[in-house]
Amino acid sequence: MIMDVRLILLFLLLLFASESLANEEIVEKDEDFSEALLLRPLPDRKVLAHFHFQSRLPPTNLHGRHHHLFPKSIFQLVQKFHLREMELSFTQGRWNYERWGGYDPIASSNAKPPGVELWAVFDVPQHQVDAHWKNLTHALSGLFCASINFLEHSTTYATPEWSFRSSGGNLKYGTLPREAVCTENLTPWLKLLPCRDKAGLSALMNRPSIYRGYYHSQRLHLMSNEFDSNGLSSGIVLDQTLTIVLQPNILGTGGVFSSGSTLQPSWSLSSLFGRKVGGRCVLSKSSNVYVQLDQNLVSELQKVGKENEGSHHDISENFWSDPSFEMSVPPDKKIREVESLDSGGSSILYEFSVENYSDSKPFDLGFRWKVPLVWSCQQAPLSVSRYLMGSGNERGSIAISLKSNRMSHRMKNVDNNAGECWLRVDLFQVVPWYVKVYYHTLKIFIDEELQSMADTVEKIRVSPSEDKGLPGVMEMTLRLPCGVRSAALTLEFDKGFLHIDEYPPDANQGFDIPSAVVVFGDFETSMHLADDDSLNKIPLLSKLRDNNRVLAYTEVLLVPLTTPDFSMPYNVITITCTVFALYFGSLLNALRRRVGEERRLLKSKASKKTSQLSLLLPKLFAKLRRKSWEPPNQSSSSSSFNYKLIVKVLLVAGLAVVWQYYSS
Amino acid sequence: MAEISEAPAPSCQNDKKSDQPSDPSSDFDPETMRRTKPGLKRLILTLSVLFSFLLGLPFLLKSVEIYRSPLPFTDIDSLSAAVESSPILFPCHFHAVFVNFPATSSSSSGNELGFSIHSRMRKLFPENETPVCGSCNNNFSVSVTLDGSTLLNDFTYDRNLENFDEIWDDHLNSVLNKDSYTVVVVNREDVEEVRAVVGKHRHAWIEGRILKEDEPELLERIAEIFVKVFVNGGKEEGSIHGEFMPVGADGRVVLSFNLLNADPRDWVYDWDFQWIEEILLAPIVETLRPLADVSVESQVLYHTPKSSFSYWDDKLTSHVFSTKDLPFFVNSNEWHLDTSTAAGGRSKILQFVVYIPSSRECPLLLQLPNEEFSPTNGFISPMWGGVVVWNPPACLNVSESTHPHRQMISPKAMKKVFEIFTGQLRQLFGLKSDSFFAGASGTSILLASERGFTEWELDVLSRQHTCFNLLQCATTLGSLSRLVQSLPRMIIMDEIGKQVKFSLEAAKLTLRNASLGIYDAASVCSRQARSLAEDAFYHPSMMSVSYYSFEHCFAVYSPFFLPVSLHVLLAVLREWKRYKQEQKKYLAWTNVKI
Repeated sequence: MIMDVRLILLFLLLLFASESLANEEIVEKDEDFSEALLLRPLPDRKVLAHFHFQSRLPPTNLHGRHHHLFPKSIFQLVQKFHLREMELSFTQGRWNYERWGGYDPIASSNAKPPGVELWAVFDVPQHQVDAHWKNLTHALSGLFCASINFLEHSTTYATPEWSFRSSGGNLKYGTLPREAVCTENLTPWLKLLPCRDKAGLSALMNRPSIYRGYYHSQRLHLMSNEFDSNGLSSGIVLDQTLTIVLQPNILGTGGVFSSGSTLQPSWSLSSLFGRKVGGRCVLSKSSNVYVQLDQNLVSELQKVGKENEGSHHDISENFWSDPSFEMSVPPDKKIREVESLDSGGSSILYEFSVENYSDSKPFDLGFRWKVPLVWSCQQAPLSVSRYLMGSGNERGSIAISLKSNRMSHRMKNVDNNAGECWLRVDLFQVVPWYVKVYYHTLKIFIDEELQSMADTVEKIRVSPSEDKGLPGVMEMTLRLPCGVRSAALTLEFDKGFLHIDEYPPDANQGFDIPSAVVVFGDFETSMHLADDDSLNKIPLLSKLRDNNRVLAYTEVLLVPLTTPDFSMPYNVITITCTVFALYFGSLLNALRRRVGEERRLLKSKASKKTSQLSLLLPKLFAKLRRKSWEPPNQSSSSSSFNYKLIVKVLLVAGLAVVWQYYSS
Repeated sequence: MAEISEAPAPSCQNDKKSDQPSDPSSDFDPETMRRTKPGLKRLILTLSVLFSFLLGLPFLLKSVEIYRSPLPFTDIDSLSAAVESSPILFPCHFHAVFVNFPATSSSSSGNELGFSIHSRMRKLFPENETPVCGSCNNNFSVSVTLDGSTLLNDFTYDRNLENFDEIWDDHLNSVLNKDSYTVVVVNREDVEEVRAVVGKHRHAWIEGRILKEDEPELLERIAEIFVKVFVNGGKEEGSIHGEFMPVGADGRVVLSFNLLNADPRDWVYDWDFQWIEEILLAPIVETLRPLADVSVESQVLYHTPKSSFSYWDDKLTSHVFSTKDLPFFVNSNEWHLDTSTAAGGRSKILQFVVYIPSSRECPLLLQLPNEEFSPTNGFISPMWGGVVVWNPPACLNVSESTHPHRQMISPKAMKKVFEIFTGQLRQLFGLKSDSFFAGASGTSILLASERGFTEWELDVLSRQHTCFNLLQCATTLGSLSRLVQSLPRMIIMDEIGKQVKFSLEAAKLTLRNASLGIYDAASVCSRQARSLAEDAFYHPSMMSVSYYSFEHCFAVYSPFFLPVSLHVLLAVLREWKRYKQEQKKYLAWTNVKI
């Protein structure tokens, strides 16, 4: 009987599953595009704006290779290089993990290292991966007007195996920390959107205002399983995000409150971007603006709300207001995070649909604080920083320090057996070959005490650098006790010498060591939104709901290397040649010199007259040597001639030395 | 140095004194004479130093020599001379078949008829000027079959059939020899007017009541069809020249079709390109295969206004865009007609654009200079592609909804647009798109192929293409050889040498194939020759600027060689001078002694 029930249940389940699959297929039959913008006030008086655009493409074998929304160039890229997944980000500025948060979905997936970061997973046999990567870098560099082609050389990219993300060896990772990011990279990125910046939310991207921000990261993420052998392909998903941190211009209302704390600045779309939204992009499936108030802020608000209970709670004609803030447009929907056990509070999302706005009636959201509030963002379990130690041009060491944020995160998936609690941290570090790291010098300090490797390192993989061939790669899983206050890693290195051709144009600026990636493997961050179908349809929300690994990038290090004098080769050539020429000349002269003849000549000359001038110098010289000067007699004339010559040469040399000394 | 150089001249005076202080001879003048032979030791020494330097020089030059793969300069020159002096001409065969002519009615025998057609054709070829490259050479052959009634076997000759021409064309294709161009003359008593039709393959026919006295006129007409249509492709002066054939250097063409919605807020149109590609484009791509490797791609773009304005015409109730503004129609800032990864290297992209105007400029008509309206509502730009303006049917009754739905362009409209594109493609390849050919001796109907290009047109293109490729190959190789010879210190890789060699071989093969009349093989070989020549010319190592220049060499070696050579040369000069002087003195002494 039980068996029967089970069978029926199983059958029902299968039926249901197949039905839902069929539903999904119907949904995914056509390409679609959607746009969204998320705004979030940050604790340090700044505003985070996160644009998210998603283009989805149904599988090629069902839908064909002609599209009406999906960008042709990206499709061709996927087809040509057999990409399974790719992420390219252009970033300027550094994400401030302490102030802007390190433990929310946006920070974990949109905080990127400065410059260009590119990683790609290829769906080709192992031996072809390198060739595909090289071609891909060239194609992307043409597509995005950037020097991504510098990632072509094998010294610039690495193959992380498990620390960055797990893949079967087909993942390549490379960064260009010094790439400058500007409009020439944004324009081709916008070209991939069907409406570009002509309509919809992307119309807000006024170049002067978005590049004025404190952080600017433009990202392109591509997922495809076109080449899966099992044929169960779900097409290509292209996510384009632009994350910026802006400082709102202080609008008039900012005043000092009685408590002494200042009011957070008020802002509106037009004050942040200098533009308003003139309706949605007609091609997008959904076009929404969200305002997010994060957990800690919400709990602050609740406190304020309780204090002010009973006071007026009106919705005036222009403003939708809450006790502590007001918004110029009433939100269409308020999405509250489902309270979950392991988080202290729940964040709130206000949804505004841009659907019903147009050029004549633009959408301009204003946000105004009424009460001064102080809150902090959620932090990652450990905050990471990396710095250089040592001085001089010979050697130094890299230190990575991890500091506990003393947060109340309940650690999920943590080893809890035998009463012990461990915190796993994955570290991925690529070091260029000219920084020769001695991996045996790795020292790990926990709470300022030296620890043995066996106790703390769970897994380590080191691939040493090869001169002019491969960069050094270190992947490591650290196991730290939960109560750790601070941990530090040090690695010593020697600075290598480069060939004169290998120096970049501005060699004296120093050389960059790309950011290390620190992954907190035990933690996953996501927003706990209610399992609502309408929310699923919005890609931004489903991205926020997905479990993201918590990761952090460290600073880029600048290592000064010994730089040669670049005119040196020519100087060397010149001075060597001069020495050789002098040698040859004097040798030749010595060979054809007739000593006897010269002697006779001088004798006759001396017999004629001894010029006063020629006598002056030896006189002076003699005086200097405090010897009585005797006029040259005939017998010693040849020796005095040589003597004179030496004096002349010395004089000239002395003058040269003096001149050199004073001129420099 | 200075002290030493002063030495020789005045030294002579005292020299002798010390040498011969006690010489009793009274006529010895120590100023001008000496008793001993001057020594050669120092002269030989300095000379040996100089010679060892001179001997070392070739070794030095050898050591700083750079690698230059030997290029066959003479072969290149002879190829360009051969290509430039005489254009490539192909052998052609012509065949005339007379059907239903009573044996008695034709006054002359087949040979005579053939000869008379031949002489008429010769007149049609331009006499004094050099023949156009890629046409037929002068020793073409004309054969005549007088009784071709076997052609009518198994065929019901019924002119009243609707698609008689097509059926008859297919029938002729199945019976006739495909190697030569054929004109079939059918004498029909029952048909009054004389009608000439050029088929889709390599033949044409003339039918009607042909009287005996019309014979010269008939022969004239046959000759004209042979020369003007089959050889020259029905082209006239002013059509696009063969040199501007839109085929990339690697023999590839990418046809990029773009649907531009000028303003998607008014309406959004989409097309079923899958269907278009399979049904409408596949035959054309297949037909062009011998000429070029054609690939097709598509995209739909939005927010793409044209860059110039049109004006509203009340009478026509439409917006009018005049031809003189056409250069400003294509908006290169907003129309992102990107290159594609399929068109890597040096292949050619032809852009075809369907422009859907926004509601503010709809319907949009293109006005010709003669005030009429373009029937196709499109234009081409040579070597770039073509544009067609498609006015949506809902042009005038715009619904004021802000959220337009995606609409499909109907297959019927799409078919029409792509017929225009086919025409534009033909024009880009330098062919006309008229359905008739007006010659001096009457008009002939040209049957259009559903594949876009008829067989005889392809022959013309293929001949021209071969010729153009070979010309281009010769020019490229010529410039390469000039460049290489003008930069004697440029490194030339072995690979370039190899590419040049293969390119020359392919060019020679092309010439042989062309002289044998194998069109396809000649076309393929010429393509290969050109692409190899271009590969050699654009080889990355050739493009690098950092070749080891003479100036560089000079700058590196001069700090050594300049001072050293000064020393060595001066020493030799001085010693030589001194030796001569002393020798004179000695001679003077010997003279005195005697």
